[in-house]
Amino acid sequence: MNNKNVIGLNLKYFDYAVGCVFLMAVSLILPYINVAEGRKNFISAVIGLVKCSNGQSINLVVYLTAIITIASLIIGLISFYATSVRIVKIWQVIQAFATAFWTFLLFASKTILEKAEIAKGFTNKQLSFGFWIGILAAYVGLVLIMRTTRTNVGYFFPKNLTLQNFTNLFGNNSVIPFKKWWVNTFIVATASCIINTLIILATSFTLSRTRFAGRKAFMNVLMVIGLFPGFMSLIAVYNILKGLGLNQSLLALVVVGAAGAAMGYHVTKGFFDTIPKAIDEAAIIDGATRFQIFTHITLPLSKPIIVYTVLGSFLASWSDYIFPSMLFGDKQSSYTVAVGLYWLTDFRRIDRYYTQFAAGAVIVAVPIVILFIWLQRYYVEGLSGSVKG
Amino acid sequence: MKEYKNRNLITIFTKGDIFSKLSYIVCGASNMRQGQVIKGLLFLLLEISYIFFMITNGAGLLRNLTTLGDNLQGMQFNEELGIYEMMAGDNSMLILLYGVIAVVVTISFIAVWYFSIVSGEAARKRASEGKKNKGFIEDVKSLTNENIRYLLLAIPVIGLLIFTVMPLLYMILMAFTNYDQEHQPPGNLFDWVGIKNFITLLSTGDKLSSTFWPVFGWTLIWCVFSTFTCYFGGMILAMVINSKGIRFKKVWRTVFIFTMAIPSFISLRVVATMLGERGILNVLLQKWGFVEKALPFLSNANWARVSVIAVNMWIGIPVTMLMVSGILMNIPEELYESARIDGAGPVTIFRKITFPYMWFVTTPYLIANLISNFNNFNTIYFLTGGEPHTLNYYKGAGQTDLLVTWLYKLTKDSNDYNLAATIGIIIFIISAIFTVITFSRSGSLKNEEGFQ
Repeated sequence: MNNKNVIGLNLKYFDYAVGCVFLMAVSLILPYINVAEGRKNFISAVIGLVKCSNGQSINLVVYLTAIITIASLIIGLISFYATSVRIVKIWQVIQAFATAFWTFLLFASKTILEKAEIAKGFTNKQLSFGFWIGILAAYVGLVLIMRTTRTNVGYFFPKNLTLQNFTNLFGNNSVIPFKKWWVNTFIVATASCIINTLIILATSFTLSRTRFAGRKAFMNVLMVIGLFPGFMSLIAVYNILKGLGLNQSLLALVVVGAAGAAMGYHVTKGFFDTIPKAIDEAAIIDGATRFQIFTHITLPLSKPIIVYTVLGSFLASWSDYIFPSMLFGDKQSSYTVAVGLYWLTDFRRIDRYYTQFAAGAVIVAVPIVILFIWLQRYYVEGLSGSVKG
Repeated sequence: MKEYKNRNLITIFTKGDIFSKLSYIVCGASNMRQGQVIKGLLFLLLEISYIFFMITNGAGLLRNLTTLGDNLQGMQFNEELGIYEMMAGDNSMLILLYGVIAVVVTISFIAVWYFSIVSGEAARKRASEGKKNKGFIEDVKSLTNENIRYLLLAIPVIGLLIFTVMPLLYMILMAFTNYDQEHQPPGNLFDWVGIKNFITLLSTGDKLSSTFWPVFGWTLIWCVFSTFTCYFGGMILAMVINSKGIRFKKVWRTVFIFTMAIPSFISLRVVATMLGERGILNVLLQKWGFVEKALPFLSNANWARVSVIAVNMWIGIPVTMLMVSGILMNIPEELYESARIDGAGPVTIFRKITFPYMWFVTTPYLIANLISNFNNFNTIYFLTGGEPHTLNYYKGAGQTDLLVTWLYKLTKDSNDYNLAATIGIIIFIISAIFTVITFSRSGSLKNEEGFQ
């Protein structure tokens, strides 16, 4: 056993790491694939590829996998006898490459083997246990070496990087009135974010800072109303709008959004509750009216929650689908982006318009992402709520 | 006159003066007597306009509400011209809607009436105590001060009445009618049927109930799985990001917040196309030789159910992470330190300290999440649209449909409004049960020191 102590290394995992790398190297001579002629190990696959007449550059993956695996084993053995921080770090890099190549092989085997005519109709089921041991040992070895050097194992695969692919899929959108949709949505979202925020702030202030008979009852009624699924009553809303002459107009979206805004008072009220009562009382003694308290004391103290509310209401109307889709029906010129994009992804149109859809999706996401980057500090603060002071 | 206590509608009438009594019939009489002339006149004006409304329209609307219309649209013989003519019949839907409006107007008037009586009585009391009553200008001024609630709540309340309460009443009433595909106005009338809709939906035997129960069962399964996968996933993610070794904590957090920044209808549509039969995932899996045929991610009932739960994690975990991060930072560090000194490993620490603390603080959040997942329209509608379809279900419903998405389809595609309304009421009842549980549990929030 290795009873050395090296500053900067955590040797608890070192022996296991060497073992894993050894196993990875051994798997080169274990069966790699099952083909018609029987099992083949990695080395014979390499030889087969070298002999193969129509050599390609992708075959390099196989050669490099073998070479780097052996290199990793050699350095591992060296570091076993002459342990130092530098050697282990180099080993870590080489092992990372080896792991990457083993992984790459998982996806490339089919192409390589079929091109070289070693196998036909290859599927990864035909990869033999030698390969699986190799790839597993490569990963475990890498993790163990990283532990030895105390490098943190964070995320190998940040899962939402996948969305990056779609930002590349810009296309032009001249066939569909996307610009009109975007402008529609922008107008509606901006208007209703201003109006909704004012209404939510006013409602929360009244419910949080004043006391009157029926306050609790009012809050309970709001809660009970909120328990019904909202779009259940859209038909009736539609008919009422028709009666008011507002159907199929953007104004209807703003009006209906504003009418229901008061129900979202909870978070804001919770925030207002944390502002000390003593401030209000002092202001009343100094002769301030309630309205002055609202505008001059409460609102300036509540920047995070105002930002949170603005962001929330903008986002809600920006991506609202159900109501606009019901309201506008087939009147395409008033669609908002949510309705328009969904319309594009209908199975009858998706093949033709997929790139446009992707581009549209990006353009729709951009304003929101910018808002979020800009305001995310407030967003977190607003949620955790509480005024210091 | 000696002042009495216990002011209510009866005592004001029996113990007030003649003007108090008069104001039960003529709104604002007492106010006018005590010098608040404009206020009194306003009350009177409201009363007169209500009476005018009732005489001209309202009474008829309320009467029609009981029958929902009798005259069917159809051909009638016109004797003067000697031919058959198309006669417009009653439109049950509009009758119901106007009836609801008349009811809401009546309720609003009763509120005004009550308010005028109380206000008149208060004015009388102040006068009898020798104080001066406020003039109209002073009343208006008080709107920015002690009566600010009238100023700030007026618009929200009016908005709620018109666009939330009224439609909701309309739909609730609709659950007790037979307004389905075969009874579509204006060509046809619909009528009150009592609780028949509930019986057909809930009792066994019918095709409707054999759709309702499976959909309900899947909704419950979805509700539990989607909530808890996101809850634990978010918690683990937050712990990983907050753990000591991780650098660039803010960057990681921002990366995950991005998933929230992208409107969910977009990300869900993108994922839906990726998971499709010719989507990128299936193409790659085939190209790399993992599978021979495309996997039925969204086209086989069980696959689709697992898929939507998995995709929902991707949407829900960042939200939970954000919410949990703050709480995690509040757990006293000493607890961890002493646990480590006692030799506890990371798993034990999670099991004995982190998790009980989180569980204690976040129970109400968890139940709120259960409700919102119960009604999670977006994920299902944008990802699968309720598909795959099956012939065993009532038309339109698919095997990943939740109650809410089914409700939506019933209103939008098949026009079975009575069923939609019935399902809406059932959803309400279930949500209400969840809410009652939340309220009884939220005591834990109030005495946070209870833990430790």
